[in-house]
Amino acid sequence: MGSALENYVNQVRTLSASGSYRELAEELPETLSLLARNWSILDNVLETLDMQQHSLGVLYVLLAKLHSASTANPEPVQLILLMRDFVQRNNAEQLRFAVCAFYETCHLFTEFVVQKNLSIVGIRILSRAIDQIRQLDTQLTPIHADLCLLSLKAKHFSVVLHYLDTDITDISTVAAECKTQQQQQSQHTVDANNDAKYFLLYYYYGGMIYTAVKNYERALYFFEVCITTPAMAMSHIMLEAYKKFLMVSLIVEGKIAYIPKNTQVIGRFMKPMANHYHDLVNVYANSSSEELRIIILKYSEAFTRDNNMGLAKQATYVQVATSLYKRNIQRLTKTFLTLSLSDVASRVQLSSAVEAERYILNMIKSGEIYASINQKDGMVLFKDDPEKYNSPDMFLNVQTNITQVLEQVKQINKMEEEIILNPLYVKKALGSQDDDLTSQHPKTFSGDPTD
Amino acid sequence: MHLNKYSELMERLESEELEQVELGVEVYQQLLAIYLYQNKLADAKLLWMRIPNKLREDKELIQLNLLNQALQNNNYADFFKNIKYEWSERVKSPVEDLLIKQREELFKLMGTAYVSIYQHNLLEMSLMSEEELKKAYATLNWTEELDGDRVILKPKVQEAPPSRANDDQLLKLTEFVTFLEN
Repeated sequence: MGSALENYVNQVRTLSASGSYRELAEELPETLSLLARNWSILDNVLETLDMQQHSLGVLYVLLAKLHSASTANPEPVQLILLMRDFVQRNNAEQLRFAVCAFYETCHLFTEFVVQKNLSIVGIRILSRAIDQIRQLDTQLTPIHADLCLLSLKAKHFSVVLHYLDTDITDISTVAAECKTQQQQQSQHTVDANNDAKYFLLYYYYGGMIYTAVKNYERALYFFEVCITTPAMAMSHIMLEAYKKFLMVSLIVEGKIAYIPKNTQVIGRFMKPMANHYHDLVNVYANSSSEELRIIILKYSEAFTRDNNMGLAKQATYVQVATSLYKRNIQRLTKTFLTLSLSDVASRVQLSSAVEAERYILNMIKSGEIYASINQKDGMVLFKDDPEKYNSPDMFLNVQTNITQVLEQVKQINKMEEEIILNPLYVKKALGSQDDDLTSQHPKTFSGDPTD
Repeated sequence: MHLNKYSELMERLESEELEQVELGVEVYQQLLAIYLYQNKLADAKLLWMRIPNKLREDKELIQLNLLNQALQNNNYADFFKNIKYEWSERVKSPVEDLLIKQREELFKLMGTAYVSIYQHNLLEMSLMSEEELKKAYATLNWTEELDGDRVILKPKVQEAPPSRANDDQLLKLTEFVTFLEN
């Protein structure tokens, strides 16, 4: 056994020294089972390898360590330190040849730290891993989903929000290549759909994170991406995302947010499975706090079961109820100029004038309504939005928005250009037209490499 | 900016939290106090959630969390009640700054939200002595009247300072217009 490992070390050393990383990357997967079998002496192997020069060799040792974690039961802190050391010192150029193995390492590492309840120390490590492996700042990698999972588990979002806030323009497709590789190697038991899974998970977790930090608009967008992903069959991730989508859209818009038409999956599979939530939406539309409370009570068991974390979710439903009070108060501002506090209370079904005053005060504070309270006569004066759009702050606001839009226009133009120049697209677009037309330019496509 | 006063310390503490496996209670105390001062209530709430159970029995942390909850519920009375506490050296300075800031904010909010407010209500909310309160609103030019035997205060709306567009803004605007025309 020892000599087999020596062979491994020698192979890594010679091939790395000669710079034939591609060859090395092709041969290493076969040694994985060997390494995993010898988990007890892997540390010796590591000592003979250099993180910088033999990144690929170290990567596979790490992978083997993680694979055997269930049997070997390594010291968690030690393994985490090793992983941290690796992402800080490895050679990203070498990793490019074994991206799939790197992804898998990250996935297993995520699983490992979650199991050991140490999610928070994994966050920095994975964020560093993403920075290393992605080719563009706006590229989505499967590791993103892992990072989101860790952040959710650790309830720590300041790092991950940075990634979530960048709009994705490109998806790392290396995962698709992994798939074909993995089908060839039967020892990997990861299911074949994993790149779609990580894509959906990223948007699902991302939506949850935005909900947690109360950026509901962005959360809604993330859930929308998740449920409108073109699909023939429904993924369970999509169903859960759909349920959350309904809840969040109540908070943001007070009704079901607009869903693009091209998603038959929703109508066919999801709606029947999210009955409780649709009931809730319907009741919410009636603007009656009493009925809403009853229905939340009625289905509370189902809601908590769905979300496992009963308490955390309960908050969402309370919020839904509060948002209804607020919306009703907002409606009042459209009809009345002045109203007594007790009238407000009875119209929005709050228990007393004092409670109404509290709601109104909070809404004034957060800028949801513009009003002033006169305690002397117990009246509220509703006012118009005092914003005159002439302050420097507002200008800055408009300015950043315009810059964003300009950048988006640029991005769309760039992407459109890419599609127009894509030979496959050109062929399809022209092929659907008259045959005469294509036959007129036969030479244009003669050297088409995608054929 | 005033808000950035503690950001250096905060960054250090945040990275400590991310890097180390076993954390002492001091890191959490300081971080929580700074989050509260910077009005990062969501962060504060999440921080409280991720504090390990055994550390949650720390008295000062519990007290800080009471402040946190009061701020989250916009409950001024609770806030001013709970901030009266013997704070340790570590968190003293951010907490004191927080108190000053919240007082300012309270008066600003009262100024915009109320045409008139009973003095006793405001006293209840701010937990100030009558004299402190009088001093505070005297500087804001609020007027007081008598309604029966109760004092009622009439806040004065603060005028925002007028602003002028500068050349930089004009330049940006020209850029947008040229973009639109092309």
